[in-house]
This record gives sequence, structure tokens and C-alpha cells, in this order.
Amino acid sequence: MEGKFVIIIAVALFFIALVQLMKIYDLAAKVRGNKSQEKVTRGENMLMANLMLVFMVFFFGFIIWLIIKYGANAGLYKAASEHGEKLDWLLMINWYIILPVFFLTNSLLFIFSWRYYHREERKALYYPHNNKLEFVWTILPLIALTIIIVFGIRTWNDIMYNKEKGQVVEVYAYQFGWLVRYAGVDNQLGEANYKLVSSTNPLGVITDKSINDTYEEIDTKVLSIDQELKENRNANGDLLIPKSKADKKLEELERLKRRKYRIEAAIDKGESNLITYSSSDDDVIVQELHLVKDQPYTFIFRSKDVIHCPWLPHFRAQINSVPGMETSFKLTPTITTKEMRMMPEVQEHYKNINEIHNERKRRIGEEEEKVLFDYVLLCNKICGAGHSNMQLKVIVETQEEFENWIENNGDKKRLTFSGKEVSWSETKEQASL
Amino acid sequence: MAHDTHHHHKESFFTKYIFSQDHKMIGKQYLLTAIFMGAIGITLSALFRMKLGWPDTQFSILESVLGSDAAPDGMLDSNWYLGLVTLHGTIMVFFVLTGGLSGTFSNLLIPLQVGARDMASGLLNMIAYWLFFLSSVLMAASLFIETGPAMAGWTVYPPLSVLEEFQPGSGLGMTLWLLSMTVFIASSLLGGINYIVTILNLRTKGMSMTRLPLTIWAFFITAILGVLSFPVLLSAAVLLLMDRGFGTSFYMSDIVTSSGALDATGGSPILYEHLFWFLGHPEVYIILLPALGMTSEIISTCSRKPIFGYRAMIGSMLAIGFLSFIVWGHHMFLTGMNPFLGGVFTFTTLLIAVPSAIKAFNYITTIWKGNVMMTPAMLFCIGSVSTFISGGVTGIILADSALDISQHDTYFVVGHFHIVMGMTAILGMFAGIYHWFPKMYGKSMNKRMGMVHFWVTIVTGYGVFLPMHFLGEGGLPRRYYENTNFPMFDHFLDLNILISVFATIGVLSQLIFFFNFFYSIFRGPKASLNPWNANTLEWTTPLEHVHGNWIGEIPTVYRWPYDYSKPGKENDFVPQTVPLDDNEEEH
Repeated sequence: MEGKFVIIIAVALFFIALVQLMKIYDLAAKVRGNKSQEKVTRGENMLMANLMLVFMVFFFGFIIWLIIKYGANAGLYKAASEHGEKLDWLLMINWYIILPVFFLTNSLLFIFSWRYYHREERKALYYPHNNKLEFVWTILPLIALTIIIVFGIRTWNDIMYNKEKGQVVEVYAYQFGWLVRYAGVDNQLGEANYKLVSSTNPLGVITDKSINDTYEEIDTKVLSIDQELKENRNANGDLLIPKSKADKKLEELERLKRRKYRIEAAIDKGESNLITYSSSDDDVIVQELHLVKDQPYTFIFRSKDVIHCPWLPHFRAQINSVPGMETSFKLTPTITTKEMRMMPEVQEHYKNINEIHNERKRRIGEEEEKVLFDYVLLCNKICGAGHSNMQLKVIVETQEEFENWIENNGDKKRLTFSGKEVSWSETKEQASL
Repeated sequence: MAHDTHHHHKESFFTKYIFSQDHKMIGKQYLLTAIFMGAIGITLSALFRMKLGWPDTQFSILESVLGSDAAPDGMLDSNWYLGLVTLHGTIMVFFVLTGGLSGTFSNLLIPLQVGARDMASGLLNMIAYWLFFLSSVLMAASLFIETGPAMAGWTVYPPLSVLEEFQPGSGLGMTLWLLSMTVFIASSLLGGINYIVTILNLRTKGMSMTRLPLTIWAFFITAILGVLSFPVLLSAAVLLLMDRGFGTSFYMSDIVTSSGALDATGGSPILYEHLFWFLGHPEVYIILLPALGMTSEIISTCSRKPIFGYRAMIGSMLAIGFLSFIVWGHHMFLTGMNPFLGGVFTFTTLLIAVPSAIKAFNYITTIWKGNVMMTPAMLFCIGSVSTFISGGVTGIILADSALDISQHDTYFVVGHFHIVMGMTAILGMFAGIYHWFPKMYGKSMNKRMGMVHFWVTIVTGYGVFLPMHFLGEGGLPRRYYENTNFPMFDHFLDLNILISVFATIGVLSQLIFFFNFFYSIFRGPKASLNPWNANTLEWTTPLEHVHGNWIGEIPTVYRWPYDYSKPGKENDFVPQTVPLDDNEEEH
């Protein structure tokens, strides 16, 4: 409360001071015989003109300082994926074209403003148009843009029209986290449907078991709502709870029935479920994304609730993850996490980051920790309160390390969804038989 | 509307100041509303910049301003953070830079500069303003509800904006947002139609289309863009309203909430994005063109030199206006749309750089060998051209679908559009206010304060938005409530403090403007009739506003408005009302 009071008084005093200053200024102007606020004096013109130059120097200086301090990638280092290198190269080409234009046109603007400030004795040049000149600065941007467009679209097509099917990995987004599903040995993800999503089957993978589990879940809910409604009626059948509440219950009831009906009609294949949906058998769901160096990947993205956007800054890769549709991105990692940590620029950078990180930890009274470089996948599309902490740890490693990890985690952390439980290695053996 | 100008009927307070049908008064009403909304908009930005600059500090001011729901113990709540960001964007884009900018100056200047007694329909004009006022009130009111305002970003993408379960702001706050926008669109349509009709039909004798000041051309193209694109946003908003309230599923499909799978199937959030950006991109030019039109006029007047390449300027505005309708897909490169479309939109988007470059070079050539009067308005124009260039060049990177993969939705985007659209338009708007203040209120604003205001604004503006490009290059996503969850962003802590310091100074320095503006309305020295020695018609009207603008006949126009420093003329300006000499060429 006192805070508010002080602020109000401060603001009021500020304005009173301003009013007084203005009065003094007006009086002084009157004494000097200069009442006009419209006419800019020669001194003022000169001052403003000179400030243009001063500003230009600081403006350019500021940009150059930022460029030197943060460089082109501002702490993202060299791209860690095949297409990322192409993108970085394209970006540099663009900067080489753009920055000279930026510095040139801005300096012309400020230098002309400085050079040609108003003096009574001068007269401006009457120069309404010059077709040649205008032609030149239509053609020059056109040429520069042609280069940019051609390079840009070629790179874009290169990345997006990559037909090669890599190792398939699904990343599933939800408020506020990610799940990863490996396609397994058959390199084919088992079909999934949002109507089957439940706590035991977070991705809605279709299996005979998940269909039956869902029926059971729906039936239980239907029963309990029926029961509740029955309990809340008296002998004459009149409702004891408010009608709006009862309507909601009835609506819920209908929704559940519809859901069951739709599963029966569109998903459930009865006895052939086991065969139809068998490609999910070797899928593995985990909570970390491990990738093998130099292995091409085809990522499939789905979302449970709202639009998210998986963003892998070090790999220069991102695409939206939209409920109701599948999006996809291809990516080949080229540097392992370990190799990245060994790079001198990363080490130096992380020395700096550790200092800043732990200085903050000390300041807010949290325990200090050693931070190591890690790849990360983050959310880049506004998705709600937890948007800024929607992270997935990404590790790039060798084939061996990957096998080792999935062997241990595929069993331990695996969220079972299939009737039969098989580990990564078992399915591999089966496939090779 | 043929007014009998000699018949000066007495007006009551209500018909003169509140329900006025006079375009000058309506222009001023727009301006005041916009200044009020602008004050809210920039204050919001200062508040959320506090959280970004000092993520661990408790600010009691946050709690006292926003209340304990939004900032318990002085720590901004993460939902409310998004709410502030959303409202900041909505208010600045729609209420200040669309309604405020084009509402104020189209209303004030169109009849005065084309030589008309008033707008084609004074009544529609009044209704348009009051709808704008109503929508402003609705939008501002959403800040005062318990669950907070809309929180899904100013683009309010569904499904996030559909269900309250996804975020609290998607409840009542979002309803208010949609209602407010619906009313706003109605207002902007009524206004736009009026501007177009006035410009086409009510030009005075001699005022051919190629003698129109560039301001009018800019307002004309802006109004056409608005009339063609805003209805699409209206349909998007109505469909969203139906998805929220009536159980349709235009934008929703395959969604699972905590209470299980929803019924909605077959819709697509991408449909909304298409509809939104079909307005959204022309909207950028709806914001930008009026500012560019006014800077053209002011730069020419204050350089005492004709605008260079008058026809090229018109041509490039027309080109920009046309192209703006076929580039919306560059906001959606990463939605998973067909890669072929990505290529097409890259091509069309990059084409816009050509007319934009022409404009920039023409501005610079206009200043070259001019005799530049450094009035506050001119200073803001120079700043505006500078930001137009600086923000324009980074647009080339974002327009490139390939590069967008690594820049999309990072702070690079935030830096880019705040410089090119936000700053250019705001600086242009300030330029317009300083330049036409004498026409609006018959008083002068204090020039020294104007000069200080300019320098602080341009320095802090660049200080805030240039570093953001580097945050973006470092991969930092926008709309993050805090960046501390990722150690990889820790080296940006100090840069974020720098940005927040600049932002705070920048916002506080606007007090200089507010003070100068309101003080000058009441206490400013009386303005002269044509303070900047300009050629256009508005300076031939009397200082005291009269209904019908000119006492007696409307002047006839004989020449284009840019005869500054014409050889063989005594003065360095020749108003449009002066007939051509016998063997004088027009230009």
C-alpha cells in the first residue's frame, strides 16, 4: 500500500516539476524574444544534424559489438546435422548480402541528414525524379533477391523433398512434455488413435489390449455415472440435483457412448486386431531422445492437445506439432554429445555458462551444480503456462551406446501398452530368426 | 455532403465533443483513444520485461499494479505473463497502429487534403469511432477479470484459445477478446469504406489522382487492404466463437483433454492460421503504409524538396499492397504445409523487398541536397526510415523458407517485426502527431521536448530490439516466461537485463510526450496558419475548426503538392492552390 502511495506521489511530483520547468522555459523564451515553437533555429538544426552522425556511430558500434560478442550463432556453435550445415552456409550468404546494404543505406540516410541541414542561405535542389536512377535501384535489389531466392528455394527443396526414409522416431507433444516412440526393428510405428489415449496408453497406440482396456474404462465410467444419476432421483423419478448438473452428466454419458461406438466402428477389427496392429509390437516408448551419429532419421510429430513446436536449435530443425495431423522432419545428426563437449569453443563457452549459472544459483540460494553441454528439444509455439519449460533431453551417441541404453531403458522405463511384453533385444532376436 | 458553410449552427457539448460527426473531431477522438490504449500497451510490455530481465526478483510494483492473482508476492504468474504478452500485441497492433494510426490521420487528413467539406458519410464515421471505442473498452476490460485476459498470443491460435482447460485465459478473457475484435472489425470496415468513397468522389476541382499527396494515396491503399482482408478475420473469429460455444469443430480434431478424448473431428487448426494470416499479413501494411505515407509528406516538406519519384512511390505502394495478399504463407512455413507452397511464398515474399527498396532509396534521395529543417516531426521521419531499412533487411532472412527453419518463432522474429513494423509505424505516428498537431489543436507542441523525446525513443527502441536478433540467433524461443530452465541460455542473462533497462527507460520517456501533448493542448502557444510552409490544402483552412473546413468556397487545385524549391519561384514552396504560370511545367 505504501509502495503505491509513493509511486503516485512520485509521478505527481514529476509532472509538477515538468510543468514548472515548462513555465520557466516559456518565460526564458519570452525574455529572449523567441516565442515560436515552430521555427527550428539554426543552432538547433546544427545540433540535431550533428547528433545524427553521433547516433550513427553509436548505432553501428552497438551492432558491431553485438556481432563480435555473440557471433553469427550466438552460442549454438556449428550445426550438428547434415542439413544444418547447408542452412548455416545459406544464412552466411544472406548476411554477406544484407549487412553491406544495411550499413550503406543507413549511413547514406544519416550522413545526408547531417550534411544537408537547414541554413537560410541555402536552397534545396529541385529534383523530382530521374527514371534512370530509379531503374537502377529497381534492378539492383532484383538481382540481389534473385540470388537469395534461388539459393533459398534450392536449399528448402533439398531439405524438404528428401525422399529417403530414415530410422522412424515419433515425438509426441502434450501439455507440457514430450514422449518418444522408436519404431523398432520393423522401422514401422504401430498405428495410434487419440480415442485410445489413457494413462496407461499415453500415445493412444492401437493394440488388442488397449482397445479392450478402453472399453473397460468407458464401461466403468458409464456405470458410475448411471449409478450417480439413479441415486439422485427420488421415488417419483424427479431429480435431486440441479438440472444443469444433471445435464452435464448426461452429456458426459453420451460422449462416452459415442466414443465407444466409434472405436467399435472404426478401430476395432475384432479377432484380427492382433495381426492388423502388430507393427506396434516392437515399438519402444521412452522419455529421452537418443540418436545415433550419422544415422538418418525420419521424425513423426503428433500432438495430444494444442499446437506445439519441437525445436532442436543445435540441429537447426523445427516443425509444428499439430493435433489432428502428422508432421514430419528428416534429420541426420553428425556430432555426438561427447564430441560436442570436447570442442574447444563449447568448453570455453560452458566455462562461462557455469560461472553465470552458479552465480545465479548462489544468489537465489540454490545448490550449485556443474552444467555440461547437452542437446535439447524445446517447445517453440505458445502452448500455455508450462511453455517455457517443455524440454526433452537429446543425446547423440554411437550405435553401441544407443543399443546399450535402449536395452536398459527400453525395459525399465518402458510404458507397456501391448499384450505381450517384449524388450528391445528380444524383438531383435525374433526378427532375425 | 454539401454543407452550407455560412449557416453555422450552434452545437451542444454532446454533438461537438462526444457524438460529433465532424471528421476533425473524430480524428482527435481516435487519437486520444489510441494514446490511452498505447499507454496501456507499452506499460504491459514494461511489466513483462521486468520478469524477463530479472527472473528471480520480486517486484512489489507488479503486485500493486496487476493484483495478487497475477503477481503473487511480486512474482509474475506464468499464465498472466502470457496474458500480458497477448494483450500487448493485440493492443499495439490493432488498437494503436490500426485504429489509432489510420483512424486518426485518415479522418483528419483525407477531407482536408483532398479538399472536401467532410467525410462522405459523417454518420458512419461517427459510428465507426464509437465501435472502436466500445471495442477498446472491451479489450481493456479483459485485464480486470479474475481468470485474466486472452493468453494464447495475439494470434490466438486454436485449440489453445478454445478450451479454458488449456489455459485460464481461454475462458471469459478469450470471449471478450473475440467480442472486442468483432466490434473492432466492424468499426474498421465502416471507416475504410468511408475513406475510399471520400477519396474517390469528394476531391476538389483540379485534384486529380496524380495530384494527391502521398499521405492520401497511402490511406487509400490502406483502406482497400483493410476492406478486403478484415472480413476474413471476422469469419475466422466467428468460427472460433462457434467452436468455443456451439460445439462445432472447424479448428479442432483429435484432441484429448484430461477428461478424455473430445468429440471434435475433421477440423484443422491450420485452417484458422490460413484465415488469420490472410488478414495478418496485409495487416502489417495496413499499419505500415499510413506511416510511410506521412513520412513521405513530412520528409518532402521539411527537406524543402519534392519527394523523389512521386509516381514510383505510388507504384511501389500499390505493388506492396497487391503483394501483401499473396504472402501470408510465410508465417506458416513450419506448419507442415506442402513444401511446394513454401517455395511459392518465399518467392512472393521476397519480391516485396523490391518496392520497399525503391521507397527507401527514394526517401534518401529526397533528403539528398535538401535543406532539412530538423523539426521533431522530421526527426521522427528520419528515424522511421532508418527502422524501415534495418527491420526490412532482416525480413529477407525470415522470408526465406529454408532459413525460417532455424529462425521461426525465435527472438529474431520479435526483433525483426518490432523494428520494421512496430518502430517504423510508431515513429511515423509520432511524426504525424508533431507535424499536424497545429492543425488538430491550433497550438504548437514544445519543440525541444519533441527533440528529446525523439532521441530517447530511437536510442531505447534500437537498444531493445537489436539485441533480440542475437537472442534469436542463439535459439531462444519467444513467449518464454523465463529462460532459466535451460542453462544453454544463461549467457543471455545480462543481455536480457540490458534489453529490460532500455525498455523501462523507453517506456518512461514516453511521459515526456504525454506531458508535451496534453500541456500543449491547453497551454501551448498559438500556432500559425501554415507553420511548416507546406503546400497541401489542409494549411489553407482556418486555425479555429469550422464545420465544413473552409469558410466560403473550397479552393481549387492547380498543381501537385510537392513544388518545393522550384526554380524560378520566389518562395521555396508553392501551395497547390497557386495556378501554374503561363509556360510552367507541372513537374
